[in-house]
Amino acid sequence: MNLLTDTWYITLRDLKARIRMPVFIFMSLFQPILWLVLFTQIFKSLGGMPGIGGGAVGSSYLQFFAPGVLVMMALFGSAFAGFGMLMDMDMGILSKMLATPVTRVSVIIGRVVASTLVVLVQALLIIIISVVMGVDLKTGVPGVLFAFLLLSLLGLGFAAFSNGLALLLKRQETMMGITNLLTMPLMFLSSLMMPGALLPGWLNTVRQFNPVDYAVVSVRDLISVGYVWHDLWLSLVVLAAWFVVGTVFGTLMFRTRTE
Amino acid sequence: MSIIETHQLTKVFPGDIRAVDGIDFEVNTGEVFAFLGPNGAGKTTTIKMLNTLIQPTSGTAIVAGFDVTKNPSEVRKRIGYTAQDVGVDEHATGRENLTLYGHFYRLDGKTIKQRVKEIFELVGLTGSEDRMVSTYSGGMRKRLDLAMGLIHQPEVIFLDEPTTGLDPQTRASIWEYIRDLVKSKGMTIFLTTHYMEEADRLANRIAIIDLGKIIAMGTPDELKKSIGGDVVTVSPCVVKDDECKEFIRRTESVLSGKPFVTGTKPTDGELAVYVKEGESAIPSIMQLLSSQGIEVKTISMSRPSLDDVFLKYTGRTIRAQEGTRTTFAQIQRKRNRRQK
Repeated sequence: MNLLTDTWYITLRDLKARIRMPVFIFMSLFQPILWLVLFTQIFKSLGGMPGIGGGAVGSSYLQFFAPGVLVMMALFGSAFAGFGMLMDMDMGILSKMLATPVTRVSVIIGRVVASTLVVLVQALLIIIISVVMGVDLKTGVPGVLFAFLLLSLLGLGFAAFSNGLALLLKRQETMMGITNLLTMPLMFLSSLMMPGALLPGWLNTVRQFNPVDYAVVSVRDLISVGYVWHDLWLSLVVLAAWFVVGTVFGTLMFRTRTE
Repeated sequence: MSIIETHQLTKVFPGDIRAVDGIDFEVNTGEVFAFLGPNGAGKTTTIKMLNTLIQPTSGTAIVAGFDVTKNPSEVRKRIGYTAQDVGVDEHATGRENLTLYGHFYRLDGKTIKQRVKEIFELVGLTGSEDRMVSTYSGGMRKRLDLAMGLIHQPEVIFLDEPTTGLDPQTRASIWEYIRDLVKSKGMTIFLTTHYMEEADRLANRIAIIDLGKIIAMGTPDELKKSIGGDVVTVSPCVVKDDECKEFIRRTESVLSGKPFVTGTKPTDGELAVYVKEGESAIPSIMQLLSSQGIEVKTISMSRPSLDDVFLKYTGRTIRAQEGTRTTFAQIQRKRNRRQK
């Protein structure tokens, strides 16, 4: 009971702090829109390539790439979630909180939940804009909800991982370096920008070990292809596993930090 | 009745750093107890063991009736904590900061609302409840910080360096609030400080701590009386060089052992001479020294201060250490803030 209420109050605190930063709202809305518009313009002529247009996946690069933007945003929105924790540590807020009877893990879970809620709101926005731009939602609302579940698992995993990283590294500079070092390859070593058919063989092998790719494949299936159950089940299992790994790492680091 | 009781409390950090080295003390219910010592003496480490933030390496501590290692959650319910860093959330209002802590202490909504009103009044922040903390001044933040440890009416409040880095005016007003708190709520306060004046003015009892050990404990008066008279400070030199050290050494050897001198302690460029009665000692000192060919540049007399007590037990002054180390820490802290 206390676990739930404490988590809720910390989530609320985090959300309020974000909403009050105009720069944050602008960035989190503007960035995905920018990606959606810019990338689909740059790669427009790829619309006829195998695996993108004409074939199974829709008829345009937009239809191919819009699901990728959803995943990209879930990744970046969550992988930087630990910076809030770092701020709390630097300001002495974390120590002060831990001297109260607050349920220990709520302090980290609340933050992770808040960051994932923000990701979902952004995802909804991208879906709406995509539809306006001409994306055809192949599985309708149920499929979109399924996609949101997969995005949540990916986001929760990365947010917990990032919070754990903050508790481990304790410094903003190293945290920034490591986070960039991890997120960029995770994005590029996947079929986010190019379908598997157009990727070199080694990359197709590597992406099988990348949780981000599982999200890309299945969210793309749900939005632009249909229910490809083989892909969906596999992704659900892999992303659930990633969620467990991130959460275990995050809480473990938190336990070590708080003795 | 004692509300805090430690027995051989010890904290050893990796690298065999004995931050707190087997300390024993008791704090009575309703008193203000101060830990006085220079930076790095082990004050913050002690507070963090008492408020359950870190675990002791060995020894025990009972706070408000519960063992800090065996029953940390019971201890947490009964204490308030204000750290050296102001741990308030800038991106929230004062009321939100306080309300969040009310929830953490399991108070119901109605109680929280009422306490918030009460506490804002107590710390003189009425009218600023719904302003963002980012618009608060440094002093206001510190007061909010204090308030956050009060919402559940704790039995003990831990204040770690409550006025470090504040301007003299704000410092005086924080002292005022702490005194009010003791008077109106009858709370027990455990505070750490490296300001002698702070300990002197606020505390009923003081423990002087250095290098992880308590070296003296008692009421401010008792501690000062332990010096046994007045302090005459003699300086035979203008520039603090090796020649000066030699002068001080010679001065000390001339004076020590004389019937009116109870003790001597050399410091940087000066010699503290403990005497039974300052007024009559000064002429004798002057005479003795000039007969030995030592020219006194300055001489002054004072009633003993806590700094003299510290000097007597450690051979160093708190002030001398404060100069170098505090400023560095403050610069570092400011630098961190600017980066954000």
